Amino acid sequence: MLRPALACALLAITAHAGAADLLVSAASSLTNAFNELGSSYEAAHPGTKVLLNYGASGALLQQISKGAPADVLATADQETMDQAAAQKLIDPSGRRDFVKNTLVVVSPLDGRIALRQLSDLTRLGRVAIGAPASVPVGRYAKKALEEAGLWTAVSPKAITTQNVRQSLDYVARGEVDAAFVYATDAAQFKDKVHLAFTVPLATAVRYPVAPVQASAHAMEARRFIDYLRSPAGQAILGRYGFTQP
Amino acid sequence: MNGPAAIALLLSLKVALAATCINLVLGVGAGFILARSRFIGRDVLDSLLTLPMVMPPTVLGYYLLVLLGRRSALGAWLQDSFGFSFIFTWQGAAIAAAVVGFPLVFKPARAAFESVDGQLEQAARVLGVSGFSLFFRVTLPLAWRGILAGLLLAFARAMGEFGATLMVAGSIPGKTQTLSIAVYEAVQAGQDSLANELVVLTSAVCVAVLLIAGRLAPGRINGARP
Amino acid sequence: MSTMELDFAIHKTLRSGQRRFTLDVDARVSGQRIVLLGPSGAGKSVTLKAIAGLMAPDAGHIRLNGQTLFDAASRIDLAAQQRNVAYVFQDYALFPHLNVRQNVGFGLKRGWFNPGAGQAQAEVDYWLDAFGLAAMAHQLPAELSGGQRQRTALARALVAKPSALLLDEPFSALDEALRETMRDELDALQKRLRIPMVLITHDPADAARFGDVVLHLRDGKVVCRTLGRCEEAAP
Repeated sequence: MLRPALACALLAITAHAGAADLLVSAASSLTNAFNELGSSYEAAHPGTKVLLNYGASGALLQQISKGAPADVLATADQETMDQAAAQKLIDPSGRRDFVKNTLVVVSPLDGRIALRQLSDLTRLGRVAIGAPASVPVGRYAKKALEEAGLWTAVSPKAITTQNVRQSLDYVARGEVDAAFVYATDAAQFKDKVHLAFTVPLATAVRYPVAPVQASAHAMEARRFIDYLRSPAGQAILGRYGFTQP
Repeated sequence: MNGPAAIALLLSLKVALAATCINLVLGVGAGFILARSRFIGRDVLDSLLTLPMVMPPTVLGYYLLVLLGRRSALGAWLQDSFGFSFIFTWQGAAIAAAVVGFPLVFKPARAAFESVDGQLEQAARVLGVSGFSLFFRVTLPLAWRGILAGLLLAFARAMGEFGATLMVAGSIPGKTQTLSIAVYEAVQAGQDSLANELVVLTSAVCVAVLLIAGRLAPGRINGARP
Repeated sequence: MSTMELDFAIHKTLRSGQRRFTLDVDARVSGQRIVLLGPSGAGKSVTLKAIAGLMAPDAGHIRLNGQTLFDAASRIDLAAQQRNVAYVFQDYALFPHLNVRQNVGFGLKRGWFNPGAGQAQAEVDYWLDAFGLAAMAHQLPAELSGGQRQRTALARALVAKPSALLLDEPFSALDEALRETMRDELDALQKRLRIPMVLITHDPADAARFGDVVLHLRDGKVVCRTLGRCEEAAP
């Protein structure tokens, strides 16, 4: 007689645990926006807890590829998500673009050289760029410089960083003369760095998001992605400088 | 061994060697001073000097960035006088590795100096030998085994240093991208075979260093009593 | 010169944890061979170290053959290396990493390097022969017997032609049978060289053999002095 009661209790506990946690791996530039999105999602869906894991998109991909239990992956560029799809790590039917961002160049507040366009970078000593092999902002920067024919001139000055925050920190400290970051990050740091100019890019910076294939909470993951694209989610993202995809 | 791996290896060796030389002077010097002098707060100073061993390397890297960066007093002076900055250079990486490895040299050095019989130093003094002569002729020959053990640990630690180095020196291939940073970036970029090659290389070098050390100073290094 | 004038007044308080020891000795003696006799803890070693310059008294003075080695009032304190006395430690304090030849020649060489392991030197060779150590000149102290170690320590002390020889319990580390032999040797040596010596011991036999003047120490004070043959002072 005890056994059915025990089974019911166990089922209730595991079912409750199942509904509770959603692990979202998001690119570093989404940090502040997703912190707020996570809290408002939890408020709208009581009983669900959103756990946030930030890093460079390439690093996040590696984690999932080695078995990290993420449910949602949001990267800063299409290429990383394409790699994830090629390795069958995400569910392609759930993949959506959810925001747009802009690439900008920032310089120290007390910088002496006026920067108005990409060619001005050739007059500088050090420029912080994310590692193109694993950091999307670095890939965008390299693409923009290649499109302007300036990559060979600027790459010897490049200090490779692991993520956007590191680049911003070096600019804030005056260790580099300029850095390629996202407009959203520059806005976040506007009292520590000077926004020099927007970088022209042939293709816009669009962030994709997708449910992770191995996730145990597929439905919850899709619900979160829908929330990102809903008016409420977009309003929050807009507050941090992101624009509609 | 391919090109980038060889470059990273040579850089790691250069940085680790420089860091160990820095600690040879600073760590051994500090060990000697604390072994021989008696003052209030000596134990507090000892704890402070041991701190780098327990602090996270990224915290140490942050402090070094604040102390050596262009906005600091020292960094600004270097920049203005010599046009030189420690940040993003292999010299900065060497300093980061030296700070991290300092306690590994300082503590064994202090213990080694304390283990030298004070009477031997007194005997030398009465015979007319004191100061630096006394240090090089009596104290150091009797303490060198313990000191060497510490230096080798510090060298191996410097070979593997990552957190502080990354913050202070960045990751510039050929200039500051040491083996451990190269491994990290290879993993980040999904280049597993390169990562494996670099890991094997780093491990082989460290094992070789420790084996050579065991030959040079048998007995105490390997744990057995001479 | 072989008679020594030793004039000292040494006041020193030593603290070890809860315990306190006060040394308060003074004496003016002259003689070739002076012995400080007393039980362990009486302050003999501290006194000898003060004379050698290995320990600075709190107050007082030390004069050897008219030369002031230490004077608290005039702030004179000659470093050990300048006093030209020789000190033989109780367990000899031979340098374990140097062989016999290098130990004996240690004080003759100035600078940052020790004498070479096989380097011949006139004075060193003389003393090695005099003490019968030539055969083991290349051996390390760990490989020597007790008597050989003592002779090495003595040779090392004498090679620099000191003005006085200070000996800290020179025979206590030896077994009984060896002690008498070594006493004879030291006796003969001192008489031949005519180097004044100060010897500290707890063994009355040593005092009997070597004490032209015997100062009895107890609890940090000189309690009596005798000339020639020594009588045990009343406790």
